[in-house]
Amino acid sequence: MKRWHSLIAPALLVLAACSSSATPSPAATTAAPTTAPAAGDFDLDQWDSVLAAARGQTVNWYVWGGSDSINRFIDTFYGPALQERYGITLNRVPVADTVDAVNQVLSEKQAGTDPGAVDLIWINGENFYTLKQADLLFPAWAQKLPNSRYVNWDNPALNLDFGHPVDNYESPWSSAQLQLVYDSARLEAAELPRSYTTLLEWACAHPGRFTYIAPGPGGFLGTRFVKGALYDLSGGSAAWLTFDQATWDTWSPALWAYLNELKPCLWRGGETYPQDEAELRSLLANQEVDFSLTNDITGAGTAIENGLLPATARAFVFDQNMIGDFNYVAIPANAPHKAAALVLADLLLEPEFQAAQIVPANGFGLGYAIDVNRVTDEAAVAALLAAATQLGEAATPASDLARALVGDTAAEYHTLVEQDWRVYVLQGE
Amino acid sequence: MTRLSQIGRWALYLLLAAPLALFAVYAFSTRWFFPQLLPAEWTSATLARVLGDGRVISALRDSVAMAGGVSLLAMVIGYPAARVLGLRQFRGRNAAWLVLFLPTVVPPLAVGMGLNILFLQLGLAGTLAGVMLAHLVPALPYVVFTLAGAFARYDENYEFQALVLGASPARTFWSVSLRLLAPSLVVAGLFAFLISWSQYLLTLLIGSGRIITLPVLLFSAAAGGNPATTAALALIFLAPPLVIIAATARQLNQRPGDIREQL
Amino acid sequence: MRRRLSLSPWLSLAPALALVVVLVGASLAYGVAQSLGLMAVIGQNTVSLDAYRSLLSGHGPAGREFWSALGFSLWVSVTATIVSAALALLLAVGLASRPGGGAADTLALNWNLAVPHLVWAVALLLFLAQSGLLARLAAAGGLIELPAEFPVLVRDRYGLGLILHYVSKETPFLALIVLAMLRSQPTGYAQVAANLGANRWQRLRYVTLPFVMPGLLAGALLVFAFVFSAYEVPAVLGVGYPRMLSVLALRFFTDPDLRARADGMAVSLILTAIVLAVAAASLKRGGAK
Repeated sequence: MKRWHSLIAPALLVLAACSSSATPSPAATTAAPTTAPAAGDFDLDQWDSVLAAARGQTVNWYVWGGSDSINRFIDTFYGPALQERYGITLNRVPVADTVDAVNQVLSEKQAGTDPGAVDLIWINGENFYTLKQADLLFPAWAQKLPNSRYVNWDNPALNLDFGHPVDNYESPWSSAQLQLVYDSARLEAAELPRSYTTLLEWACAHPGRFTYIAPGPGGFLGTRFVKGALYDLSGGSAAWLTFDQATWDTWSPALWAYLNELKPCLWRGGETYPQDEAELRSLLANQEVDFSLTNDITGAGTAIENGLLPATARAFVFDQNMIGDFNYVAIPANAPHKAAALVLADLLLEPEFQAAQIVPANGFGLGYAIDVNRVTDEAAVAALLAAATQLGEAATPASDLARALVGDTAAEYHTLVEQDWRVYVLQGE
Repeated sequence: MTRLSQIGRWALYLLLAAPLALFAVYAFSTRWFFPQLLPAEWTSATLARVLGDGRVISALRDSVAMAGGVSLLAMVIGYPAARVLGLRQFRGRNAAWLVLFLPTVVPPLAVGMGLNILFLQLGLAGTLAGVMLAHLVPALPYVVFTLAGAFARYDENYEFQALVLGASPARTFWSVSLRLLAPSLVVAGLFAFLISWSQYLLTLLIGSGRIITLPVLLFSAAAGGNPATTAALALIFLAPPLVIIAATARQLNQRPGDIREQL
Repeated sequence: MRRRLSLSPWLSLAPALALVVVLVGASLAYGVAQSLGLMAVIGQNTVSLDAYRSLLSGHGPAGREFWSALGFSLWVSVTATIVSAALALLLAVGLASRPGGGAADTLALNWNLAVPHLVWAVALLLFLAQSGLLARLAAAGGLIELPAEFPVLVRDRYGLGLILHYVSKETPFLALIVLAMLRSQPTGYAQVAANLGANRWQRLRYVTLPFVMPGLLAGALLVFAFVFSAYEVPAVLGVGYPRMLSVLALRFFTDPDLRARADGMAVSLILTAIVLAVAAASLKRGGAK
């Protein structure tokens, strides 16, 4: 049975190649390149029809462009593979924040533009929720991808995105967990704070040597850091999975009190905060602060590879309340090249690429979305396991990560944290 | 005043050379952190990667094409307007002047945000043509007023002379008018080119993320925190304007108009 | 004969006027509509002054920052304009008095003009940050040990970084304008004044300044309008709070929440109105050309 499965992919490829050379695919006969093939040009249950429709298309993938190395990873790994295997051209569109892609889709809806500009978005959390609520996403496709069989859809961390059901609207790409980074040349591992309480003590014993990313667009790591403090103060993450205004009203004052107590001990006296991970990482590298925040499963590994941190940088976590989750790709309802987007989403889950994304030298640095136990091909399993051992010294030990792992809050809290942080902490009312 | 102006001049030259030197050093550095005065580790990999990046090359191409196109269009549209504004007196001249002056003060932010939806509806959003149209808005006034200033000092008699001597209007235009106005034309074209070249916000708002120009790449690199890449991109972004200024230095330096007004 | 080479003035003006009227007019019209809640995608077809109300009263996420952003923007743009105008005057007078035409100086000024603002801002950041090149020089010279000891010059709460940037970029621009005027100035006047016993400062104040004032004022207006509404530079050199009005406007215009979009558009229109008011006032004072 399993061997039969492994024959499907090459067979489909052959079929796709034959069908596209024999008859021009519907996409190719359309006159203007911007006119999209109608959704009916492929049948999701027949993957070969998807491949046929996708051949010759360009997929406009809107991806957060703030990391050079991730951009390079995408261009190096997925670009050529899409072209050689499926005849699809990859157009990676960098956005400063995922919300820009969301806005693009919303603006197109306002203007009545169909087809639009966006084929695929790297997305999760409240951005996903915004589009899903507004009924702007292509429905019912994620579990129809051939490679979705590798995904453990029963895992609540995966089928719930910020507390909202994924419902087949998005397909996973990778996983990430909040960690802190320090320079082992300047600090000993024994000195490191391991909880929000000890962090406060450390920061005030070393004024100006700590800061965190401002929660806001582009600063989701800062939002996660703040949420971790919220979990810590309120005794756990369970209460935050569903939205309840009363819970927020009860605990947010304590959160702002903690952050305001921390504020004068921060870098620049807490008057200003780095806007994103890159800025904070640069502060760490240039010895302005002693800690940085990251999401990479490789810890500091990818940054070291890219010359952004000294080779002595290391990652670690607190003992508890370090938020981790999956991130996904979603297809807008007015996407012009849905077939190509589907093929790309499927490619992301391909075991060889999942194995590549975790290796620091390749530049991506986020974790697996697939469940290694579900992969049947022996070579692929070996590659996945081998990659997991290559994380290197700069990564946080997997057991620490697992012990501290908690899920993210319900989507509604995200905006509340961002907005109220500005009012109660940044502006200091 | 001479001593002060000496200092001022050297400050000016330093001001100009320093960023270039800084970018050059950063572009070849890696892991250059405080308090290192010079990079301990050098590499040409970053520059090689940036120069070989298809996206950078196409951004360069698009930037040059658009800036050149905007410059040409602004000149073609602006020349006749500047001519009548500079040479003629007529009723409503002040009103016309004011209207053409508007885009220099109306913020590109407001123009871009307002045109965002309109262009989406017209299908112009995300196209080179749409973005170029948007760039024309801030560029046109500078062209018109530079040329109008030139026309104000212009002597039409030269054209009449040529016509009297039997030259066709077209020949007169090419051989007489354009020649006489050459320095100002160069300045105007340069202004338009530079304005379009450095547009970020309008390209962002109208381009829908599909039009990637060098400023868009530079902005996202600057936010991305890899100073070597940012420096490399900055150098590439700087090169064409500096080359053009160097090439047109003679025209820029000429006293306004070859025909001086008799005072 | 005169008619042969010229078309009716309005025909010649038509393309340029059409472009400006249509594009600027449409953008402002759409902008006003959206700020009044008229362009919302579903349901909202009624004119609503909510956006303006919340901004001016200081309520709501955008409103809470509106007044501080307005004050900050005015502070930065007025200071930058006045300082660069003053420096430009001195620079231009100093350069104009040099014998030999000063071709190299003009070239240098033009080069500065050609450096895009974004590039200049990045360069300033690399130079003046607390861990930037200047700080490293200071550390090498033994003046400081930690970055925290270096003064905060960019990404600071008082807009110093922004003002430094704009002054260093706009002074050459204004200097070029003044230089152009000085070079077309009849040289006789300064001579006469000198012969009558005026010293350098008196010559500057009573002869040169009135002569270049119209041009300098016009240039200063352009500078003010530009600095007040620019986005890229504050986005690179500014801080989270206080923000420039333009940064505030874009932040809310690109918010998925449609009400926030109306707020962002309203901020941008108020910004436009202020610039237009300043322009009108200074044009009236200076007298249109």
